[in-house]
Amino acid sequence: MDERELIARVRAGEPAAERTLYDAHVDRVYRLAYRLAGEDELARDFTQETFIRAFERLDTFRGEARFSTWLHAIATSVALNGLRKIKRFRSQAPLEAADGVASGVRSAEPDLKVRLHAAIDALPDRYRTVVVMHDVEGYTHEEIAETLGVEVGTSKAQLSRARAKLRESLADFAGEWAS
Amino acid sequence: MSDDRFEERLSEVARDYHRPPETPREQMWTAIEAGRRRRAAPRIFVLQPAWRWGLGLAAVLLLGIAIGRMLGPQTTSVSSAPRPDTVIGGESDVAYAVAATQYLNRTETLLTGFRADARAGRVDSLFAEQARELLSSTRLLLLSPAGRDPHLKPLLEDLELVLAQIARLPGGRRDTLDVDLITQGMDQQSVLTRLRTAIPAGPASAPRTQGAL
Repeated sequence: MDERELIARVRAGEPAAERTLYDAHVDRVYRLAYRLAGEDELARDFTQETFIRAFERLDTFRGEARFSTWLHAIATSVALNGLRKIKRFRSQAPLEAADGVASGVRSAEPDLKVRLHAAIDALPDRYRTVVVMHDVEGYTHEEIAETLGVEVGTSKAQLSRARAKLRESLADFAGEWAS
Repeated sequence: MSDDRFEERLSEVARDYHRPPETPREQMWTAIEAGRRRRAAPRIFVLQPAWRWGLGLAAVLLLGIAIGRMLGPQTTSVSSAPRPDTVIGGESDVAYAVAATQYLNRTETLLTGFRADARAGRVDSLFAEQARELLSSTRLLLLSPAGRDPHLKPLLEDLELVLAQIARLPGGRRDTLDVDLITQGMDQQSVLTRLRTAIPAGPASAPRTQGAL
């Protein structure tokens, strides 16, 4: 069934069409939510909230962009706003909790993967989102631009700056990169 | 090291970044259906954009009045001050709506963080501290006109119970059974879904994609 027709059937209130639409997109939305959140519980919350909002607001989808782009715009907004709230809350956490994390990274020689993941975690949200979408999940710059509501050039520039920051963070691994 | 080489290695290693497990599609679909059913019920606060501005301005005004009263000379006797629950339909109602919205936002953040950390087995004492603070706000709201709202009252009562359980969690090492019981209770009562439903939608933020937000 054509997606346009499927959306029309969802708008008409057909439960089976809702489920078909959900099945068609849930994997990619959950994957993105998980990549951004890094936790199953939060990723589930963000995915559920995304679909609840999408079904509620389906009447506002005018079909100018692809449905997946529209849906992913909701998903990134839900995830980034949710993570911002959680981050603010966790930033007030006692030092003992932070110590555990920090010492885990500093002790023993961390391998490249651990360091890279920590470096991605430390990126500002706008850079991290672009890295996750482009380098991890394989979105094109056009898709990222539409999803985040920015210009294609902005997406490219943010990826370039993000990579520069990662490169800087991993400077001591230069030998390993080259090998 | 060349840029190309760096980017190639970055892509290889980054694929494992927060590698997702299999999508729990059935569990999420059940939760989505439940969430939609609840949202189909009447909303507690449905604020139009013009009202949001009004509430913001009223909040600033009331904050000014409150600060003025706190800092100014205390000439009014306690007995002559109107009781909060007798002032209905005026600025007091707006103040309660603003206070309730702020309270619901803070509680949602706390409970979302608590549930996520509980599943990861790392609940710390900050949650108990914050829950204690919010617990007193819950009681105040239950005693205010907001507590007479037939939709808000049951939610506030459930939140009071959950917050009281979190506030009572002992310091130091957490008993995972206690934490599990709290999260199970939250899930059974759909506390977070109802809480999110009760929070008025904020102004649209990041993405500008047509009609998305």
